[in-house]
Amino acid sequence: MAGSSLDVLQNLPRITLANLRPEPGARKNEKRRGRGQHGGNRSGRGHKGERQRGTRPRLGFEGGQTPFYLRIPKYGFNEGHSRRPQYQPLTLKRLQYLIDLGRVDPSQPIDLTQLVNARGVTIQPLKRDYGVQLVDEGSDIFAAKINIEVQRATEGAIAAIERNGGIITNSFYDPISLGILIKPVPFFMRGQPIPKRMLPGEDMVPYYMSAENRGYLADPEEIQQARRALAQKYGYVLPDISKDELCHMLAMRKDVRQIFFGLSPGWVVNMPEKKILKPTDEKLLQYYSS
Amino acid sequence: LFFSPQFASSFSSETALPPNLRLPSNLVDPDRLKRPPPPEDSSLPLIRKCDAALPAHLSPVRTWVDTLESKDSEPLGLTELHPDVFAVTPRLDILHAVETWQRNYKRISHANTKVRSEVRGGGRKPWKQKGSGRARHGSIRSFPPLKLNCGVSHGPRGPNSYYYMLPMKVRVQGLKVALSSKMAQQYLHVVDSLNIPTPDSQYLLELIRNRHWGESVLLVDVSQEFPENILQATANLKTVNLIPAIGLNVHSMLKHEAVILTLDTVRFLEEKLLWHDERYTFLYPFKLPYSDFP
Repeated sequence: MAGSSLDVLQNLPRITLANLRPEPGARKNEKRRGRGQHGGNRSGRGHKGERQRGTRPRLGFEGGQTPFYLRIPKYGFNEGHSRRPQYQPLTLKRLQYLIDLGRVDPSQPIDLTQLVNARGVTIQPLKRDYGVQLVDEGSDIFAAKINIEVQRATEGAIAAIERNGGIITNSFYDPISLGILIKPVPFFMRGQPIPKRMLPGEDMVPYYMSAENRGYLADPEEIQQARRALAQKYGYVLPDISKDELCHMLAMRKDVRQIFFGLSPGWVVNMPEKKILKPTDEKLLQYYSS
Repeated sequence: LFFSPQFASSFSSETALPPNLRLPSNLVDPDRLKRPPPPEDSSLPLIRKCDAALPAHLSPVRTWVDTLESKDSEPLGLTELHPDVFAVTPRLDILHAVETWQRNYKRISHANTKVRSEVRGGGRKPWKQKGSGRARHGSIRSFPPLKLNCGVSHGPRGPNSYYYMLPMKVRVQGLKVALSSKMAQQYLHVVDSLNIPTPDSQYLLELIRNRHWGESVLLVDVSQEFPENILQATANLKTVNLIPAIGLNVHSMLKHEAVILTLDTVRFLEEKLLWHDERYTFLYPFKLPYSDFP
């Protein structure tokens, strides 16, 4: 450990400003062209021609023959790639790791805010991240009863969570709400009222309304049916949640327009004075409760 | 390699050092090393124990606690210092990196030379392209030997900043390594407080000479307000300096031979430096409030 090296230090001269030097091999001298026997003469440019004279044609030019990048016809593989929603993957293995280390509290509903506070995932809403997706790598190890809310989930992940008696919901956050959800404190410091969460776009509505994906817009009865169907498909006994001690916590769900659990849209949070201001005007209340 | 020169001369008749001998200051002084670290079964009281929880495989570092009240007094007691701050692996490369960073990140070099377009004059072609027998030139200010006031092509250009930041944890580790190496080479001393009986500089110098602390001493206290006596005593001294604990840095620690910390400073440093070992990475600037960790 550090003991023996500190003992060696006792017999060595005093460490002063004159004794410090970087590790041998840390600083390498840069190449300087045009100087000396090895850098000089032709300076690494070769002998005559376009190479030495720096007049080579552009990358991809094939001497006049139609180049490869123009022969191949265009096809929209990457069309609109920068507008496609991306979801940061979260494996069940990582989730179990976070719960085991105590960074995520399984006795409270697990939200994206909780995951980001535990530094389990890193979300960049400005890079078209629309949230987190649950991946079923590690589903055989997973053993925790949690109430988790993600933006996308694979069937295997849903099965793994429900097998252990937990609840999983897929909900949609538009980019602004996502930015607020990830970093609530800088948003509260701005002093703006909490906005209401927007509903998903046309193409995402069927995903969030289907019960197989446990969408937040789906019918609760259909979700129960889907739970039984999934239990039958994957071959496990569906545990009864209503008889659980934490059933009240597990049944907590956010309203469609709500971003945070305890706070409604329209409220203003005053961080320095630790106060919450609620609107009283009718029109505002009507707007925020729609 | 072990480096331990002797002060005594090789001639058996002469015991005193010759008067014109100049010794380098980082020679090991045998008088200084006469005080070994406190043994297990010493009678002095343990004044301070480590606040933070120690890992099971590490044991705290024990040091003497002195007073500045009288010139040659016995140590007051013992303190326990946290090993993760005062006994880390002596990474000299981190020390070097932090020291160069401290020197260079504030540096702005104002050296500026004029390019041939900025030197006054030189717009006209000095002589015609062909026929004069001389080399072809376009302007007087392009390069020597036309005129000596030519423009410099690749010289320093304007105020240049050498600002860069080392990661926070590297700078923290630099502080820990500096403290540990001072502790290991016995240049670190702990004092109960910086109260002196007299505002006399000579008193301080004799105290330092009696205790063989070294040539230059750095006194560190937690608060930014020091007792008046020590302020007056160190005001005219070049080699004895005061800093608050927030101002503690690797350069000052290496520049001064001995570093004296008070018990409050030790507590402050342990708290601040150990926090970085077990903290999350930041989501937003640390100035905004965090609820998870202080």
